[in-house]
Amino acid sequence: MIYGKIWCVVKPSVGIPLFLSAVAIGSFLVHLMLLTHTTWLPKYYEGKPVAAVKAANDSSGGAPPAAVVAQKSQ
Amino acid sequence: MAEYKSDPNKVWPTGLTEAESEEVHRNVIQGTQIFGFIAALAHLFAYIYTPWLK
Repeated sequence: MIYGKIWCVVKPSVGIPLFLSAVAIGSFLVHLMLLTHTTWLPKYYEGKPVAAVKAANDSSGGAPPAAVVAQKSQ
Repeated sequence: MAEYKSDPNKVWPTGLTEAESEEVHRNVIQGTQIFGFIAALAHLFAYIYTPWLK
């Protein structure tokens, strides 16, 4: 396996937490940057009140919420 | 030119042999693959079942 001998020179007790932290911090930062630099992610995270979705459902004959919200936002 | 020969019983500074190191690495790779698969699935479900990007 490629790079399989890395643990001969990097202690797993150091390298594995370092690797996992890098993944966790990296994915957190990607989501944070998307949240602060786009318009669609804050809207998505904000969601919609249940009443609004219910009303939209009633008016469009019980379509699934995702489709309704998409229609409403157009 | 001296040829490099690896000694399978040599204990490296981390306290592991090459075989043990390879075993640790297999698990790291497998864990990464499982994590990646679950993350991809979660993004796919978010895309399908929520108004994300719509």
